[in-house]
Amino acid sequence: MTTATTSALWTATVDDAPVAVATEADLVAIAGAAGTAWILEAATGKPVGTVTLAGGLLALEFSPGAAHLAFVGPTGYGLWRRSDGRILLSETGAWSNAVRWAAPDRFAVASGRRALVLDTDGAQQWGTDLAPSTVTDLAWLREGRRLASSAYGGVRCHERHTDKPVTEYKYLGSHLALALNPNGRWICTGNQDASIHIWRTRDGNDLTMQGYPEKIARLAFDDTGRWLASDGAPDLTVWDFSGKGPAGTSPRSLRAHETITALAWRPGGDAILASAGTEGAVAFWRADSGRPGTRVNPASVSELPEPVTALAWAGPRTLVIADYEGRVAAWPLPDGLIG
Amino acid sequence: MTTAASIADAETGAAEAADEAAGETQDTRVPVTVLTGFLGSGKTTLLNRILTEQHGLRIAVIENEFGEVGVDDALVLDSEEEIFEMNNGCICCTVRGDLIRILGALMRRREKFDRIVIETTGLADPAPVAQTFFMDDEISSQLRLDAIVTLVDAAHVLDHLNEVKPEGVENEAVEQIAFADKIVLNKTDLVSEDRLTEVTARIRAINTPVEVIRAQQAKVELEKILDVHAFDLDRVLEGDPAFLTETEHQHDTTVTSVGIDLPGDLDEGRLNRWLGQLLRTKGVDIFRSKGILAIAGSEQQYVFQGVHMLLEGENGRAWRDGETRRNRLVFIGRNLDRDALNADFAACLAANSPVGDRA
Repeated sequence: MTTATTSALWTATVDDAPVAVATEADLVAIAGAAGTAWILEAATGKPVGTVTLAGGLLALEFSPGAAHLAFVGPTGYGLWRRSDGRILLSETGAWSNAVRWAAPDRFAVASGRRALVLDTDGAQQWGTDLAPSTVTDLAWLREGRRLASSAYGGVRCHERHTDKPVTEYKYLGSHLALALNPNGRWICTGNQDASIHIWRTRDGNDLTMQGYPEKIARLAFDDTGRWLASDGAPDLTVWDFSGKGPAGTSPRSLRAHETITALAWRPGGDAILASAGTEGAVAFWRADSGRPGTRVNPASVSELPEPVTALAWAGPRTLVIADYEGRVAAWPLPDGLIG
Repeated sequence: MTTAASIADAETGAAEAADEAAGETQDTRVPVTVLTGFLGSGKTTLLNRILTEQHGLRIAVIENEFGEVGVDDALVLDSEEEIFEMNNGCICCTVRGDLIRILGALMRRREKFDRIVIETTGLADPAPVAQTFFMDDEISSQLRLDAIVTLVDAAHVLDHLNEVKPEGVENEAVEQIAFADKIVLNKTDLVSEDRLTEVTARIRAINTPVEVIRAQQAKVELEKILDVHAFDLDRVLEGDPAFLTETEHQHDTTVTSVGIDLPGDLDEGRLNRWLGQLLRTKGVDIFRSKGILAIAGSEQQYVFQGVHMLLEGENGRAWRDGETRRNRLVFIGRNLDRDALNADFAACLAANSPVGDRA
């Protein structure tokens, strides 16, 4: 393990507590809890524009190619267009917890107990029926034709031709976060009752990973779909989905944090993971090192004065971090992390 | 039904400075007050009082009816009441998903609040609200359930309490009184002193240890209901323990309080088995429990409190020289078997060892 003294590629400051960072192509966006998002150039950190949702922000995502940015919050959602700076706001009063683009011209937002699929003029193409609770997370399957949404009671999948679910993956409990294996084989949720629930997409066969001390609010597959990382404990856990999947196996535990605030796989699928915690550390991991059931030490750690509350990779060589005080920095990949 | 949050900005200054001067060992989590009460009990009036009074505190209010409380520049969050089972084998472990969401988003904001008040409707079950603070680590790391405050309309509460519900349906008024740490008996100017005495007796028949604060037009000193530490283990049963032996108000009511006050030391193993078994089998009916116990071999008091099956306990202060080691506890709930509770608890005393192996 090396303790890094990282010199940033650039730094910037935003006037709020960041809750999410989005990256795509040459842009970065930092969402502030109070409702403003700052859009910056990924290469320099120079400001490009801002958008504001009065009721606060929870999440945001650029369209593929970054021609648009969609953002969501406790009172609605909005859409920014890069070409002319146009901002469309939809103050629905409904809690919007997630946004996912299916294609450069089409995205889904959670809106209260429904998910809505919109075009880049904000017009609704289709929507789902009511979920048992507020929709917590979204993911696209089958090249953007099928939308999975998580809520209390499980995951429901919808397609355009009907507002009724075409498939349901049921499990009693409050599902907080959704991760789909990129090859489409597995659907995973993080749960309020401190477990990860896993379904095989094909037949709905399921298993539960229990024993976490805390709720699972963050989980993500790497680009290959082999590795699933999650919070739910001071240690990140990483499950190996190779072969027949993780049933009967043990995860690797990655220890550096008190409570995990953010995690993100490096794009490209080389099992490199970045994470941050409340204690102020930002860690880089080789998640495939060590053996299942063992504790893995970080490949590199930086201690910061304030906890990093959100991070995202801007390409494979740059990690953008945002701390509680609104300090934003773009870090190069630490020396020696890749061979 | 909807839940909404409004945030009142107030001057900060004196109160904050005083808090900082008081030392660093204090619990710095933000106290959260749960305010319940039937429509017409004066909740809105009290909320407006909380938001507009010159107390120098920044207070966030999560209210259940959209726009009911009118505060300029308030942020209002609209959300349905969402009750989630926990899928952990504990049938009464329910939490409020909407509160987890709203409080989670509130905590991520840079602006910090001195107090949070959660208003629930007269029809809401207080248990999921309270249990949310036991079950969610993100919330319990930053927020502290301070007290459940129930507003009661002195003129109409007896009608609500006497209302006969169909089999299996909860009388919400009874439940809200049973869960309360503080009861604000409002509109006392509209009824006679005799009536007030009757209402108070009826409240105490359900919830014997509760503090009843009389009020007119919801005029209550805010320090009596905000940041009162009713859920803190070191304040459990801090008040006059005489209530525990009060048995004069026996009404025909299924929700009652059972107080136990016994001197002597407890056998820890037997106590754990009994309490565990009791909460597993009767936890649905036991709304609240709290107690201060003397464990054989321990120099410190053991303090616990719970909501349904969820219980938290820890060692409290040391027993003082010359202080009688004794056990005081209270259960508030439905269909409590007073005699069985007393007998079973007495059997946990080390001196009452069934095999007589203790001197």
